[in-house]
Amino acid sequence: MFSLSRREWLIGAAVLPTLAQTARAAAPDTLRFGLSSYPPSLQPWANTGTAALTVKTLLHRGLLMFDTSGQVAGALATKWARDGNTGWHFTLGDAVFHNGAPVTSADVKWSLEQIMAPTSTAYLRGQFEVIASIETPDAKTVRIVTKQPIVTLPLMLATPFAPIIARDSLNAVGGIGAGPYTLTSHEQGVSLSFAAFPKFYQPGHPKLKHIHMPVYADENARVAALQSGDVDMIEYVPWQSMTSIEKNPKLHLSAVDGPYMALAFNGGTGPFKDERLRQAVAHAIRRQDIVAAAFYGRGTVLEGLPITKTSPFYDPKYAHGWNYDPKLAKKLMAEAGVPNGFNCTLLSTAQYGMHLATAQVVQQHLGEIGIKVKLDLPDWATRVAMGNRGQYEFCVQGQTADNNDPDGLSAYIDGTLPPDNSRSYHLPTPEIHKLLVEGRAEFDPAKRRAIYDELQRVAIKVVPLASLCWREQGYAMKKNVRGFTNMPGGLNFYSGYSLENVYFA
Amino acid sequence: MLYVLKRIGVSLLLVWVVATIVFLAIRLVPGNPAEILLSQGGVAPPPGAVAQLRAQLGLNQPLGVQYVEDMRRLLMGNLGTSMQDQSPVADEILRRLPRTLELIVAAAILSVLVGLPSGLLAAIWRGGMFDRVASWLAAVALAVPVFVVGTLMIEIFALGLHWAPAGGYVSFARHPLRHLALLAMPATTIAVGLAAILFRMTRASVLDVSMRDYIRTARAKGVAPRRILARHVLRNALMPIVTVLALNLGSLLGGTVLVEYVFNWPGLSGLLVSAVNARDYPEVQGVVLVISVLFVALNLAVDLLYAVLDPRVRQG
Repeated sequence: MFSLSRREWLIGAAVLPTLAQTARAAAPDTLRFGLSSYPPSLQPWANTGTAALTVKTLLHRGLLMFDTSGQVAGALATKWARDGNTGWHFTLGDAVFHNGAPVTSADVKWSLEQIMAPTSTAYLRGQFEVIASIETPDAKTVRIVTKQPIVTLPLMLATPFAPIIARDSLNAVGGIGAGPYTLTSHEQGVSLSFAAFPKFYQPGHPKLKHIHMPVYADENARVAALQSGDVDMIEYVPWQSMTSIEKNPKLHLSAVDGPYMALAFNGGTGPFKDERLRQAVAHAIRRQDIVAAAFYGRGTVLEGLPITKTSPFYDPKYAHGWNYDPKLAKKLMAEAGVPNGFNCTLLSTAQYGMHLATAQVVQQHLGEIGIKVKLDLPDWATRVAMGNRGQYEFCVQGQTADNNDPDGLSAYIDGTLPPDNSRSYHLPTPEIHKLLVEGRAEFDPAKRRAIYDELQRVAIKVVPLASLCWREQGYAMKKNVRGFTNMPGGLNFYSGYSLENVYFA
Repeated sequence: MLYVLKRIGVSLLLVWVVATIVFLAIRLVPGNPAEILLSQGGVAPPPGAVAQLRAQLGLNQPLGVQYVEDMRRLLMGNLGTSMQDQSPVADEILRRLPRTLELIVAAAILSVLVGLPSGLLAAIWRGGMFDRVASWLAAVALAVPVFVVGTLMIEIFALGLHWAPAGGYVSFARHPLRHLALLAMPATTIAVGLAAILFRMTRASVLDVSMRDYIRTARAKGVAPRRILARHVLRNALMPIVTVLALNLGSLLGGTVLVEYVFNWPGLSGLLVSAVNARDYPEVQGVVLVISVLFVALNLAVDLLYAVLDPRVRQG
């Protein structure tokens, strides 16, 4: 009969925690960052999700970037300035790529042309259509000429979607960039490891020698990994875990309003061709209930266009243009000829709890004013396909603006752009388009503010989307992890830029 | 010999049927891989980019052409490349399959070590305290979903006692101790349910065989009880137990997804789920095909084992 003596039991009890500690062992100069998914691709200019974006902010840098205050800052370019109404002038610093070659204007031209290529799948391809030419007077100077004046070009170039890659280096994983870290190893679906790039252009950066990123696709597993000490930091903290993390004396939660939830409409067919019914929907929802049901109270009611309170373009006059007012909603329905309500279908997905809960709250609230909503809840892939084809009457959207400038909302509110999943389908918004074009071409800040004031007024009337709430986006870390900045609003998913500042206290 | 050839032929036919069903099923589900790949971040790409990617991925070909091309590729033993990162599907499966097999084998060993002796003892002491307690525990183990067991284990052993890491994976070659520490909880989680099944099957099967005439005859002849148990009862009771174990192990090939998620174990089931979500056709086909081949092979092995153990099976 197999049996253990008391001594053997004691040895076993002593060894088990040691074994666990072995499993957790980490060098003090290594940040272990729990990623929410394994990047499907590290193609430098494509948008392949937040996890991929975080990884790419380690490997790459563009001409510009966003600093921790959310302002555009120099990266590979040390100076930049307008050159006439349609020209931008960039002076490169002394950065080198991970292969040791200097970053030259030819690399910049090549990289930006990859984005602009007709066959490109780059995220910014459409927005880069405004670029007429890229000139390289010398190895350190780049001049970008645009087809029309465009004040937001630096904002586009500061996103991680426009990194500069060494010419013809796309055969390397993610291309050869000039970011603060180099990829040392990666195991598909499991983890990625990085080492500090010793020749990074920013002296004293990055602060840590290594970053190891194991992937925890399940949000509870991710939180458990942080709580048990398996990792030092995690992204995408689930809302239901935020309070327990805040209460944990060993951990720190950094949560800011980042992405937002909204409803988009089909303007080509169905009841929401009528703007009065879109307004009625926008006025019939108690948004606090969505914040409570979908985000455990971790969000902020949003009753106007998603412009953050800290933005110079935020206008309190229009910030509550779609306030909860069921009487007004009923009045609008009566004006539209459906005083007793109507039946319609709301497209969402059952795959993500926040999309499902948002749809359920909307269904309940619209039911209170007589709109009978049927929920269509396919998986996410089907949801995306149906959204792109306009196979819905209205749908739940979870989105992030491209940046914190109102122009960053173009993709979501400009109905003159080709139909796609990200905005209302076949919902013409000529006034909004005109104002966006004007705002993009206006360099005078006061005049821009006036344009975007008008834009907010028009949007409240037209309802190109009905905003619902901001949702908090959280990173959690051990108390001794310092230097990370969780950027608010449209910059939230670019927070990986600040990983070069992270250190252990 | 004819029996063996017949069984192999049927198995190959089955694999082809599965490949065809998977080819059609994944394409019948709405959702376009090119759109999904380029729609990350909630923003759909321009139609031109989607068309470009569709052409690159060969999705603009008629369905019949895609099918013939797929079958030709599969016949050559080529599972294709992932639509997400263009890496060979076979490489990814070869990376993931051993992890899932390791999980299943570790769980099977644990469950056999617990389920078989406890089932045997429960049958021997039928109606006794051990039988009643063990039967009750087995009922609980079967009733509790695997993700609840996993989550409880994390709460107790990782977050509470700090005896084990909460989850993750490192290869054995890189860090053997760490690897075993990470394997312990997911394997035990799977083993809980499997041990309960084996316990019940062993108990029922042993009781069934114990009632047979030849056992009574052996007892009447004065054969020692231990010898009856080992040579006659257990040997005959093992057939259904092996069958149940084999079937359950086969199901686990694609059914460890919850455990893989809870413990962040990057196995084959997790790959299948993410491939379906991304509508990565070659990856879905490759994984399902490999699982089917293994399942069919496992069943073929059991069939052939039957034939070895019982001559009546061979004679049809």
